[in-house]
Amino acid sequence: MQSYILRRLLLMIPTLLGITVVVFSVMAAAPGGISAQSLIEGQNLEPAAKRAMEEYYNRRYGLNQPAPVQYLLWLNNISPLGFELNQDNELVDFGFKGSDLGTSFLYGRSVSELLAERVPITVLLNLLSIPIIYLISITIGVYAATHRGKMFDTGTGITMMALWSVPTMLAGVLLIGFFASEQYWRWFPTGGLSERSAQDMPFLPHWSDWGDIAVLFALMAAGVVLFSQLSLRLARRPRVVLMAIIGAALAYWMAVSVAGGFGIGGTVLMMLTLAGVGSAIGVTDFQGLRTFLMGFTGVVVATVLAFGVMQGEFVRGFLFDRLWHLALPLLCLTYTGFAFLAKLTRSSVLENLQADYARTARAKGVGESDVLWQHVFRNSLIPLITVSASLIPSLLAGSVIVESIFSIDGMGKLAVEAVQGRDREMVLSITLISGLLTLVSYILADVLYALVDPRVSYD
Amino acid sequence: MADSIDPSQGFARRVLRDTFARTSARIGLAWITLLLLFAVFAPFLANSHPLLISQGGQLSSPLLAHLSPGDVALLGAFLLGVGLAFVSKLSWIKRIALYVIAVLAISITANLFITPPKLTIYEQYREAQKIERYDWVIRAPIPYSPRDYQRDEGDTGLEQPLAAEQRRHWMGTEANGADLFSRMIHASRIALGIGFVATGIAMFIGVIIGGLMGYFSGWVDMVGMRLVEIFEAVPTLFLLLTFVAFFGRSLYIMMVIIGITSWSGYARYIRAEFLRLRQQEYVQAAIACGLPLRSILFRHMLPNGIAPILVAASFGVASAILAEAVLSFLGLGLVDEPSWGQMLNQAVQSSSFYWWMAFFPGGAIFFTVFAYNLMGEALRDAIDPHTHNGG
Repeated sequence: MQSYILRRLLLMIPTLLGITVVVFSVMAAAPGGISAQSLIEGQNLEPAAKRAMEEYYNRRYGLNQPAPVQYLLWLNNISPLGFELNQDNELVDFGFKGSDLGTSFLYGRSVSELLAERVPITVLLNLLSIPIIYLISITIGVYAATHRGKMFDTGTGITMMALWSVPTMLAGVLLIGFFASEQYWRWFPTGGLSERSAQDMPFLPHWSDWGDIAVLFALMAAGVVLFSQLSLRLARRPRVVLMAIIGAALAYWMAVSVAGGFGIGGTVLMMLTLAGVGSAIGVTDFQGLRTFLMGFTGVVVATVLAFGVMQGEFVRGFLFDRLWHLALPLLCLTYTGFAFLAKLTRSSVLENLQADYARTARAKGVGESDVLWQHVFRNSLIPLITVSASLIPSLLAGSVIVESIFSIDGMGKLAVEAVQGRDREMVLSITLISGLLTLVSYILADVLYALVDPRVSYD
Repeated sequence: MADSIDPSQGFARRVLRDTFARTSARIGLAWITLLLLFAVFAPFLANSHPLLISQGGQLSSPLLAHLSPGDVALLGAFLLGVGLAFVSKLSWIKRIALYVIAVLAISITANLFITPPKLTIYEQYREAQKIERYDWVIRAPIPYSPRDYQRDEGDTGLEQPLAAEQRRHWMGTEANGADLFSRMIHASRIALGIGFVATGIAMFIGVIIGGLMGYFSGWVDMVGMRLVEIFEAVPTLFLLLTFVAFFGRSLYIMMVIIGITSWSGYARYIRAEFLRLRQQEYVQAAIACGLPLRSILFRHMLPNGIAPILVAASFGVASAILAEAVLSFLGLGLVDEPSWGQMLNQAVQSSSFYWWMAFFPGGAIFFTVFAYNLMGEALRDAIDPHTHNGG
């Protein structure tokens, strides 16, 4: 295993080189390409200053040399093992040295410094998305597979397919337009990762009045208990009616709270839509999911009520502020992933449920839930793990869009800015980093694959 | 399902029938057909030039006079395609060959002989109509061209659907004042074109590289797999962004680029199929007969390994359309051609939200992608032997 990992790690090097060669040759082959002239184009400079700038760029990046030499120079710059450059830009002293990602043309700052600021944000977004994606998709997929052909199965099948087809930017634009703009409901912030004032806030939320906390928690507990009991005890029909009424009431309240209003038609349409969503929650046979969703409804209703009743001052604190800012971007980043994985989980569990070993287990009298969780589920995980490798690239691509829409200063937004500004050093470094993240995720997926499935061995 | 397998029918025909027996696939096909009709007849559906005017007893048709060579070629290709589909005497291969040659001939003649007037003044018809210079006039259902910014109506800019009384904009207007519905109709050309051409290019490259990898295996496979890995590990969107940012914006370049960046998946599928097929007796026989490599790869092996590619292609068209929309959305798309992604970009501007700019273009992207995904899924289930056995 260790030798396998080592071999894979070593194989990463040519692949990474290849990736940078592809991107570099795209930039070099472009009409105009990147030259010192193109970089200072548009800047209003004296001829002497212009010449000095050109000379500086040429010396710093070797821009007047042929493309392959430029690439080798860049490679020498970034690799920890290579030649030192002396004052006149000649190669001297082969050996270990510090690796340098260069200076961004666009920002005039060192690339590694910029990346150190931006990459953690993108990684945070991705690390938060992955567990959400897996949790939702496994919950839905396993239930849909075990209740094949039932209402939940067909319903989620179509919903997931539709969700998978919703372009991320449409979801982002709609969410930001309706739930973050002044015109409609300003429930969420429009962009960024935290408010400026949140820097001075304590980490956890704060209330000036202890009574408020008591009221909040009491109401929330009451909401959860009430709604989960309703979900567990009520028969299907009253449940659906109840949830439809709650949905319609919510829609009415939302429509009325918008300044211009929606007119009668719009209000009725909204009420019907949310009543539909509510009754869809109420109608599901999947007790766990239904109880969770109804409990969540209860919490939301209770929180809204509590904030109406509370008197004292409330400081939301750094953590809550961050979560509040992350809610919409995370939603955008996760829904395609879980839609796709839920379908995959379903088909994988379905395939294993019909496998011979599952039948054998049933034949010797193992309970159905044990067959599912002890036997079938473990085997169904295998395709989910192999797919996790392709999840990272798609999440990285998704974060380009999501970060641009929600103006989060992460690597994705930086990438768009870098290519628009023809910032060569930045483009190459981002290529390197995202290629590295992708390749590492491939290796991780293969290692996990061997850990989960004892039949797989790489030795 | 076992009784539905009739040995006298070809595999392709059975798969197609199974695919479109599903309602979801039919809905998808219906939407794509509708888009195709929109794309072909766009100038007749949405145009500022009147279809027919009578001025002092003289009839003229500014719309026909302003048709571009592209419009005519598209129309000719469509009519020819419909015509050929009903001629059942010829074999498939001959029909396709005939079609390609005829379409090429039509486009060349259209480019040679059709020269629309260089200067187009959209306002003249509205003004002439206002002072009643025409006896009568027949206009297109949506009397606005996609690039008719309606300067004569004042600086309208973004306007809600059906906001103005005199002008009827079913879907409102976009930032420059052009009719949104008209732009949507004309943009369906870009969406469909990008989808087909980019996927075609990707399939072509993928099949050739994957085919060679699978057939030769060994070191060719090794090198090819590294190439595939490289293209898989560069985030496609990022590579696309780089390409477009550095190579300028043109529809054709965009098609080629989306094609070049998305072939790796097809190569993987074809490689896996060919690795399996190369051991089969009929391939060995073909090799033993001394057939040229081209014949072995494309006449003997490819038809047997194409099934998974078709499924991937259906999803690929969807993702090519998405890729174009993302590029346009990020401001790296075409400059003055109408495109759904570029329209969607205008929905949120400086904290104002224009819902019609989000709903209509976004909805069009969603339905198109959804339609291709539905068809792809149905096709996959029709090909997959597991689901056939009721499994």
